[in-house]
Amino acid sequence: MDGHDRLLAAFLAGDLDQTAAREWDEHLLECEACWQAAREDRAGRQAAGLLRQPAPDGLADRVAFAVELATAGATIPRQPRRGVRLRRSRLAAAGTLALGLAVTLVVLLVPGGRASMPAPVAAVARYAETMPLPAHRAGPGTGGQAPRVEVGNPVMMTVGGQHIVVRTWRLGGTEAVVATSRQPFPMPPGAQGTSGGGMAWVARAGKLSLYCINGRTSELVAAPVPAAELAVLAARLPLA
Amino acid sequence: MGGDHRAFLDATLPHVDVVYQVARHAAGTGQDPEDLVQETYLRAFAAFGSYRGENTRAWLAAICLNTARSEARRRRRRPWEVPAQALLDALPVARADEARDVADVVIAGLDARAAARCLAQLPEPQRLCIVLMDVAGYTAREAAEALGCPRGTVLARVHRGRRKLAQLLAEAGVSHGRS
Repeated sequence: MDGHDRLLAAFLAGDLDQTAAREWDEHLLECEACWQAAREDRAGRQAAGLLRQPAPDGLADRVAFAVELATAGATIPRQPRRGVRLRRSRLAAAGTLALGLAVTLVVLLVPGGRASMPAPVAAVARYAETMPLPAHRAGPGTGGQAPRVEVGNPVMMTVGGQHIVVRTWRLGGTEAVVATSRQPFPMPPGAQGTSGGGMAWVARAGKLSLYCINGRTSELVAAPVPAAELAVLAARLPLA
Repeated sequence: MGGDHRAFLDATLPHVDVVYQVARHAAGTGQDPEDLVQETYLRAFAAFGSYRGENTRAWLAAICLNTARSEARRRRRRPWEVPAQALLDALPVARADEARDVADVVIAGLDARAAARCLAQLPEPQRLCIVLMDVAGYTAREAAEALGCPRGTVLARVHRGRRKLAQLLAEAGVSHGRS
């Protein structure tokens, strides 16, 4: 780029003083090459302007969550592809199991802190804590018969080497998180096993109730509801 | 640490939209722009304690571009390669009897996909200046800070890049119409 072109670029950027700019205005009226260059500059700028696209909804939340997790030494590697979906529910089986757990939950749930909670469980609890508290309390079975609606996109995270997919569901005024992993969710201190062999456990983390079924695919449900309501809530979630 | 991350998010999260604009055009083949944005913020957070700059969004753009380059090197691929045939297939058709003026042809047939493909054909220095200034809305001074070069160089590159972009759009459109 020669000096002439540099001056033209400066003129187009509005860098020249008033006198110099007026001289360039007059020059453009006489010089076909510079006039053409100015028009191409404008056309190129307009074409590039077409490429602006707003950031996707939820990107700021995703970034903020990743930063918060980074403070705890965890990472969220990427957004799962659209095609990745958790298996749909076998509601009858889950409902039977959850109802069976209802009594157990009330008896066994004990308050627990998160200071010594395993990192994968703590990360899911932290994620669930961002959910709003139930809008209204309708007693056991929060959400009544309201349809189950998925909220936002699934989030994939890696915590302590464990890959976890987290989905959020809304049932009436209550939101619940379902975290799925191919590795079992470690039982936190203070949690109680709810079935033989230590495959399932329940725990409290602040205002959250946690319910985990470990198996070939492990699932952890977290919701800001009393322990007694979690089983009924779980029965309405798409657990495997 | 909690206070640190809150201060970091307060300072940087308002710029997530412009960082996304940069990421969309800096992400290499197979790299998700949203992943690039997230990685940019994580790297920025790691360096936030020692950051003393005045222009946060220029700092974020620099990190985003460096992150994209690192990823491209890791994948051992050129990040902005677009097959020539794909470019020709996507360009708008212009009739041979239409005006030959480059600016007229470009403005009449502006198409975002074609613009994206032609932008990908520009030399990297010009492309980055256009992405920062014309797509993401950075000033020339901010772009210069993000790219680590003088402001005058940015202005020269963006001018050359815009002209080349317009010429690519016009020439490809006309030649496609003749075939």
